[in-house]
Amino acid sequence: MKLALRHVFVLVVCAFAVFPILFVISAAINPLGTLASTDLLPTQVSLGNFGDLFASDVYPFGRWFLNSVAIALLSSFASLLLSMCAAYAFSRMRFAGRRAGLLALLLIQMFPQFLAIVTIFMIFTRVTELYPAFGFDTVWGLMLLYLGGALGVNTWLMKGFLDTVPKELDEAATVDGATHAQIFWRIIMPLVTPILAVTSLLAFIGIMSEFLMASVFLRDPESKTLAVGMYGMIAGDQRNANFGMFAAGTLLTAIPTVGVFLWLQKYIVSGLTAGAVKG
Amino acid sequence: MRKRTLSVAALASLAFAATACGGSDPAAPSAAPSGSAAPTGQAGGTLVIWADPNRVKALRPFADQFGTENGVTVEVKEISKDNQQTFITASQQGSGPDVMIGAHDWIGNLVQNGAIDPVNLTEAQKAAFPEIAMKAVTFDGQTYGAPYAVENIALIRNTDLAPDAPATIEDLVKEGKRLKADGKVEEVLCLPVTQKGDAFHAYPIFAAGGGSLFGATPSGDPDPKQVMLDSPGSVKAFGKLRALGEKGDGVLKTSITNENYIVNFAAKKCAYLISGPWAMTDVKKGGFGYDITPVPSFEGGAPATPFVGVQTFFVAAKGKSKALAQEFVTNYVTDKDVAKALYDADPRPPALTEALEEVKTTDADAGKFMDAGKDGMPMPAIPEMQAVWQPFGIAEAAVVKGGDAAKAAGAAQKAIDGALKN
Amino acid sequence: MAPDARETARRGPRRTVTTAFVVSRIAVLAVAAAFLLYAAPPLAAAGSWTGLGVLGAATAVIGYLYLTPRHIPAKYLVPGTVFLIAFQIFPVLYTVSTAFTNFGDGHRGDKQAAVTAIETGSVRQAPGSPEYDLTVGLRGQELVFLLVDPDTEQVRLGTADSLSPLPGAQVGVTGKVLRAPGVTVLTTPQAAARGPEISALSVPTPDGAIKANGLSRAVEGKAALVYDAGCDCVRGDADTWTADDGQGYFVNAAGEHLAQGWQVDVGFDNFAQVLTNPTISGYFLGVFGWNTGFALASVGGTFALGMAVALALHHPRMRGTTVYRIALILPYAMPSFAMLLVWRDLFNRDFGLINQFFGLNVDWMGQPGTARLAVILVNLWLGFPYMFLVTTGALQAIPRELTEAASIDGATPWQGFRRVTLPLLLVALTPLLISSFAFNFNNFNAIALTSEGGPFPAENSQVGATDLLITYTFRLAFGTGGAQFGFAAAISVFIFAIVAVISAVAFRRTRRQEEVYA
Repeated sequence: MKLALRHVFVLVVCAFAVFPILFVISAAINPLGTLASTDLLPTQVSLGNFGDLFASDVYPFGRWFLNSVAIALLSSFASLLLSMCAAYAFSRMRFAGRRAGLLALLLIQMFPQFLAIVTIFMIFTRVTELYPAFGFDTVWGLMLLYLGGALGVNTWLMKGFLDTVPKELDEAATVDGATHAQIFWRIIMPLVTPILAVTSLLAFIGIMSEFLMASVFLRDPESKTLAVGMYGMIAGDQRNANFGMFAAGTLLTAIPTVGVFLWLQKYIVSGLTAGAVKG
Repeated sequence: MRKRTLSVAALASLAFAATACGGSDPAAPSAAPSGSAAPTGQAGGTLVIWADPNRVKALRPFADQFGTENGVTVEVKEISKDNQQTFITASQQGSGPDVMIGAHDWIGNLVQNGAIDPVNLTEAQKAAFPEIAMKAVTFDGQTYGAPYAVENIALIRNTDLAPDAPATIEDLVKEGKRLKADGKVEEVLCLPVTQKGDAFHAYPIFAAGGGSLFGATPSGDPDPKQVMLDSPGSVKAFGKLRALGEKGDGVLKTSITNENYIVNFAAKKCAYLISGPWAMTDVKKGGFGYDITPVPSFEGGAPATPFVGVQTFFVAAKGKSKALAQEFVTNYVTDKDVAKALYDADPRPPALTEALEEVKTTDADAGKFMDAGKDGMPMPAIPEMQAVWQPFGIAEAAVVKGGDAAKAAGAAQKAIDGALKN
Repeated sequence: MAPDARETARRGPRRTVTTAFVVSRIAVLAVAAAFLLYAAPPLAAAGSWTGLGVLGAATAVIGYLYLTPRHIPAKYLVPGTVFLIAFQIFPVLYTVSTAFTNFGDGHRGDKQAAVTAIETGSVRQAPGSPEYDLTVGLRGQELVFLLVDPDTEQVRLGTADSLSPLPGAQVGVTGKVLRAPGVTVLTTPQAAARGPEISALSVPTPDGAIKANGLSRAVEGKAALVYDAGCDCVRGDADTWTADDGQGYFVNAAGEHLAQGWQVDVGFDNFAQVLTNPTISGYFLGVFGWNTGFALASVGGTFALGMAVALALHHPRMRGTTVYRIALILPYAMPSFAMLLVWRDLFNRDFGLINQFFGLNVDWMGQPGTARLAVILVNLWLGFPYMFLVTTGALQAIPRELTEAASIDGATPWQGFRRVTLPLLLVALTPLLISSFAFNFNNFNAIALTSEGGPFPAENSQVGATDLLITYTFRLAFGTGGAQFGFAAAISVFIFAIVAVISAVAFRRTRRQEEVYA
């Protein structure tokens, strides 16, 4: 009975979550695709917009798709590693400037990113001259840039999670002669799989939807990410002409994220810490 | 000094990148010291063109052809966000293109940033363009680009519903209201107003009502020192917009937006649409007869002049291959075939008269749009125009919602004067 | 503590400690060496000795750091920090430094760049001069122009020193010179390869100079405006503009300035402007109040809803959780700029689905109260999946035994939640709530892509009902004839200070929570 209540509540929230998306679906299957018609049920139904999306030679959607997934997977993995390391230090070690550093990490995120574009151009103009492999128009340069944000919110998130893991665990290990590296890799990491999974998902989504930096970095049509390419579809006065395709693309954009979620889900809800934290 | 900091930053960024690629392939260093005039001196040279996504594809074949003819590499890059600012910033830092494609109303800002050079078109080349296109790309007496497409808004009419072109706005309102009363349409006119106003689309009606934005300098350019929004003529024009608005005829509505106005017309929810060439793809999907005529004026009113925008090729001042860029812009893209290919990729009327004539034979719309705009006003290219769009739009939205015209005009005037420090 | 974990801690690591130790040290050295090998040559080639020095020092520091047993926290912090400094801290510091300049449109480069732009921009074709057909040639090693007057077909030789007739040259039908005595004619590709030299060559004439216009034409022109270093002024067109290093413009007697300016230091002017601008100061309190309310409502709303669903799904006998979870994260998986536009249309009075669905006729975005409600609702939709995900993750870390124990003690589920689950959740999530508040306080996109700050009252077009501090101040910085980056940076510093104070106060409160397990 209580369970039924839970279902009702969750269903209501799901309806709230999905409601605007139904609208996008409607626009995507409507040949006269628009995000602005009154009708939830399209007057005509066709998959033409999806077909156009993959057939279009102006918008190499398939390439964007692959680019996005590759960049997001690689960058989120690398940034996860960096932020996990930092979170471990912030949570487990006591050193001068620790709290100030944490606060600084938070505040640095608050600066309007688009003001920094001028500086990004400055830095990468120089990088492009010296090391073309990491310069403009390269995926590697963009990924480097993303790593700059690795110590951002994700570190805060993981540090909060790590704080809930009892310290007795690693203290006991230290007593037993384990080094800090061993504690990190052998004890902490396995304990925090759900956190790692959640954070990687968040990092993945974050990079999938980032387009401010990607749009100044990737200027070859074939090298674009989904977010940049899709933005270009509706930028300026083109927006009406492409809404149907755009809606179709928006829906497809969600697929990698859902895929990654399905893959990570078993780690998120595995509850494997239950045994270990009994202490 | 700054260079040093940069090297450090560049290094820092590489600190860990090197672990990723294990020091393989130490890329060929370009020996060029960065500086304004220093060439990279690569054999053959490279011409870099920046365009927006829709034109990249169309430009490619011509870029390649130009490259083959001149023995150079031509790269067409795609920019999709904040194109003007990105171009200026990138140029300033030395990462910009050699040729930029954009709208003529960027010119004022590009010039004040030293981002573009004047181009030298011969008299014969200039004569190949209509007067309004050359006027648009001329700033402070200099020609700053080669035009390739001209666009402006016009009145598009569903001829199945409204067979005759309205002679005046009053006629349009009367006919539209009749159709609405008969239940044939839901709205009188599809013109985007939105909550923030849309100065671009409202301007013809504003001008028809006797309004104006700027006074003129002795040379005939718009004078940012004389903002005219609270002049009696402009207040009267705002009054006319108010009378057409939600508390009046209900012709202008804030609920009609850039997202829905074209599609509502295509879905036959209104018989009249004020829009530009970019609407035609959707309009044709509607499957009804249509016609394109100039935006009418009020009875006894001033001409309903639309803004005219001219898509232009610019030569970047800080490009690395300036000679190539000049060659490309002045001698190559002023070619009829290039203009037509760009038209095919994105159907906006070509600026070259010769190309337009050819396009007209297969697409009557292009000529009709061109006619609707021939007395139009090139969008002011002065940088100060950026201070006008928003206050003007908000004043428009305010009067459409029934606000007082004089108050709204006064507030807009004050905001613009404040921003321009007049 | 569970025996298995302790066992791992005791036995596992010890066996491999030497191998791991050696391998990791070798790896560190290899990485440092590879890094040096990759990064050094380009720097040396570019002659950047400072860069090389820093490179060497950085490599040495990193090598030392990972070989020494000391400085353990640094080992974990340095990798991320390096990137943080390069791509976040340096840009932010640089941006802040522009707050003390007039950096922005019209004032981007230095004075020299402005002078070049002024002179180049004023070059006008000499009246009545021919449009020469240009052929590029080499006289010995010297690049020269072969100029054909299309009317007379006469060929002239243009060098950096002089313009002289060149008899005996053969001209083709296109106006290109085919052969010329003493000059090697370059083919188009050969000429294209020398583009920069061609652009640089200026052939002096009595009325100015002949410069190439592309590769196939040349024009005689003269700069109408010329910089005179003696008076630090620009002369021409019967006027004189004197450099004003206070505002970075060349100004004439009438007070008018040339369009092209340069970047100058303006001290605290931008900050003073933020404080004295009547639009900013006049509306600050009202906007600040709404801004804070918006941020609190966004954080509170998303957290409450996200946590509630996470808790509802956190039940051993709950079925269909995968489907539910996918539906719940969908809002977060869609590109947010697209969905913000969708929401804006859903709220449309006449064409929006919301009014149609509920049979209303509300001008949602047209009235202050409803517009505020709408943007908060949209932000709730965008943000709750995030909170749902992190709460789901955090809930896994809370031992079920604790909640079970509470219920055995006779606590109601609500009491169990209040006393056990929520406090533990907050340990993990408080830092996140703070950062979420700070983020939403500056959530430019959520406003810019939905209400755009509106609705605006008729008598004030600068501050709308849903404007945040950052949206209405940036409108001032970017809406006045170009982007004023310096001013925007100064604004950012102020907003940054406000957010910093609020966050720091909230952050202090986390100190106690942090020590719960310590």
